[in-house]
Amino acid sequence: MRTNGTVDRRSLLKMAGGSMAALGLTAAGCGSGSGSGDGTVTIRYAWWGSDDRAKRINQTIALFEKKHPKIKVQTDFQPYLDFWKKFNTQASGGNPPDVFQNAIGFLRKYDEKNVLLDLNEQVEAGNLSMDNFRAGLEEFGRVDGKLLGVPVGSNSMALVIDQPVFAKAGISPKPGWTWDEYHDAMARIRDTQGRAGDSGLYGVMYLYDLFLRQNGKAFFTEDGLGFTEADLVDWWTKGFQGVRSGVYADPKKVAQIRPKSAVAAEIAASEFTWDNFTIRYTSEGKSQYGLAPIPTTDGKTTGQYLGSLMLSGSRRTQHPKEVARFIDFMVHDPEVAKIMGYDRGVPATTEQYEAFQPTDEVNKKIAAYERQLVETRVLQPITPHPAGADVCEAAFLRVAEDVGLGKRSVDEAVQQFFTEAKTALGS
Amino acid sequence: MGTTVTHLPTTAAQPLTEGDEGSVPRYGPGGGERRTRAAVRRRGRRDNLAGYLFMSPWIAGFLLLTAGPMVASLYFAFTDYNLFDTPKWIGLRNFTDMFADPRWRTSVEVTLWYVVVGTPLKLAAALAVALLLNQKRRGQAFYRAAFYAPSLIGASVSIAIVWKAIFSDDAIVDRAQRALFGVDVGGWTGDPDWIIYSLVALTVWQFGAPMVIFLAGLKQVPRELYEAAEVDGAGTWRRFWHITLPMISPVLFFNVLLETIHSFQIFGSAYILGGAGGTCGPADATLVYTCYLYVQGFENSRMGFASAMAWMLLLAVGLVTAVLFWSQRRWVHYEEAAR
Repeated sequence: MRTNGTVDRRSLLKMAGGSMAALGLTAAGCGSGSGSGDGTVTIRYAWWGSDDRAKRINQTIALFEKKHPKIKVQTDFQPYLDFWKKFNTQASGGNPPDVFQNAIGFLRKYDEKNVLLDLNEQVEAGNLSMDNFRAGLEEFGRVDGKLLGVPVGSNSMALVIDQPVFAKAGISPKPGWTWDEYHDAMARIRDTQGRAGDSGLYGVMYLYDLFLRQNGKAFFTEDGLGFTEADLVDWWTKGFQGVRSGVYADPKKVAQIRPKSAVAAEIAASEFTWDNFTIRYTSEGKSQYGLAPIPTTDGKTTGQYLGSLMLSGSRRTQHPKEVARFIDFMVHDPEVAKIMGYDRGVPATTEQYEAFQPTDEVNKKIAAYERQLVETRVLQPITPHPAGADVCEAAFLRVAEDVGLGKRSVDEAVQQFFTEAKTALGS
Repeated sequence: MGTTVTHLPTTAAQPLTEGDEGSVPRYGPGGGERRTRAAVRRRGRRDNLAGYLFMSPWIAGFLLLTAGPMVASLYFAFTDYNLFDTPKWIGLRNFTDMFADPRWRTSVEVTLWYVVVGTPLKLAAALAVALLLNQKRRGQAFYRAAFYAPSLIGASVSIAIVWKAIFSDDAIVDRAQRALFGVDVGGWTGDPDWIIYSLVALTVWQFGAPMVIFLAGLKQVPRELYEAAEVDGAGTWRRFWHITLPMISPVLFFNVLLETIHSFQIFGSAYILGGAGGTCGPADATLVYTCYLYVQGFENSRMGFASAMAWMLLLAVGLVTAVLFWSQRRWVHYEEAAR
């Protein structure tokens, strides 16, 4: 009986031990696989954006790998909100990408959590140059003396418009036009063009920020919200009226075509967003898209500032030197600028700015728009973005949509937003 | 949260009758018995060890991937934990915050609505189709496979995306409702009052799994009962109510239990249908419980709050399961006497 079909203890233990050892070996083989024998190093690079942007970025990476044969780049991209969810999870698990696209709203948040690499050291070591940045952009990624992000381009809020529709309605916005003129124009589009004027400005945090700045306030202070509940009641009441009267797009329709924009889907004739989005809309939609100035309260002040997408490194990267070289290449190499165009804004460094002379309509319009901002001297310092700003932005958009859909009274919605914002900002 | 039900009532093992000679080995009297017993015990222990060793990959997985995280999440439920900093003990704050949070209440309402409406509809569809497929007809095997197919693919992300397209503005459902009923409610997925129905429709469409179980139950009902009833002049409905339903009530109970638990845990389809990034349907119309848990945990980095929510869900599902078990005395009929 003993020998028949039973395995004795000794051989079983041997088997178990052997398989454990094999497991251990595999585990050892998997760990820290980013460096290999011949000195080739692999870095992970992640960004948010559309397919169009991904195509351009992949071309720039091919160029980088050709010039730096010892560095391989692994890529990953998602739409904006998904990107940050994934990044947050990876970062909390101690496994963020080595280098990634970043924006001002996230610098303090992830600095507090020790996720971001201070690039000053790499600048001193000569792996990354912070020279030749335009318009003071080299300061944009600095927080408390640390260099946490390197701008790749500058952008600004604008009114992105469907040009033929605006032309047919006989509207040509001029710098300094007022909110009253804007609302008349939106009503004219609704009446003559059979579509809404705007896609839903009441939910765009960055536009509300500009409106507040026109009135001596701002969306954020250093550590909290810079406006009162009464301010927001006023803003959303007007927003809801706009939806009811058909001047702003029906939020039901806007929700259904996401992630496509309401302008490209021909639901609305215009949308307040970042000027470089014109490129995305052009690849999504069939019409021609242009840029119009931000309406003003006093006929002069738009409240605008330059924003910026940046590249940041992870503090946990094992290859800070390679990360710095990668960033350096992406912000200074003239060829990169020719590939990227103004997709991530107008290039941040002079060598890239000069290397790319826009020949197509869309990029020319973006260049003209930002030139006009500088010439009309409307640019002001940027609003601070405390940790938690990103959660506030998402809540603002969501609760505003509830208002637009008529699912919540304005008062109730304002209460809800303030409660969520206070939790997010920890105040 | 593994929810495995260990046995199907219909296939319950026969109880061992007392004094069954064959099942318990008997040994002779005196010292011989003693020695043999010890040997048996020793061998048994060795067999146990081997058994545990063979199970060890599963046990390790269970401890590391299920039990460990569950214990950790129980601890996190009483902390303020943002994934990065060390958790800070805050007692019951997460739970009091939860009850005060209007979005949490919305998520509970949406989930309960979904469970209470979706589950019975799905089971009704499953039973109806099972009854049709239980008849003797040609090509039944094909139909069975065809009706089962949606359950295999229905929970996938791609189907949720297709579903979203079907129920959008100017898509097939929108056009059909205008052409057939002359009503214009637009696409369902953008409308806070309608999107939940498209979610329920998606669930009902996946009736395959309970259908197969119903079918198995229906095949067990003895034909003599129907024949006797027919002789007594009982019609189709009477036969259904007085024979079929009581005879398959254990299977029905099993399906109700499983599908209810399942419905409470819905996530993927609601998340995708509701527009994935950031929102859970227009005006939180598809903010089911697990979606909100996900938003709090991964979007707002409130892992402590999310853990507390998970434990509340476990308690609620446990309570509902207990109530269902308690209720089965009143309506579930086990055919023991017949054996």
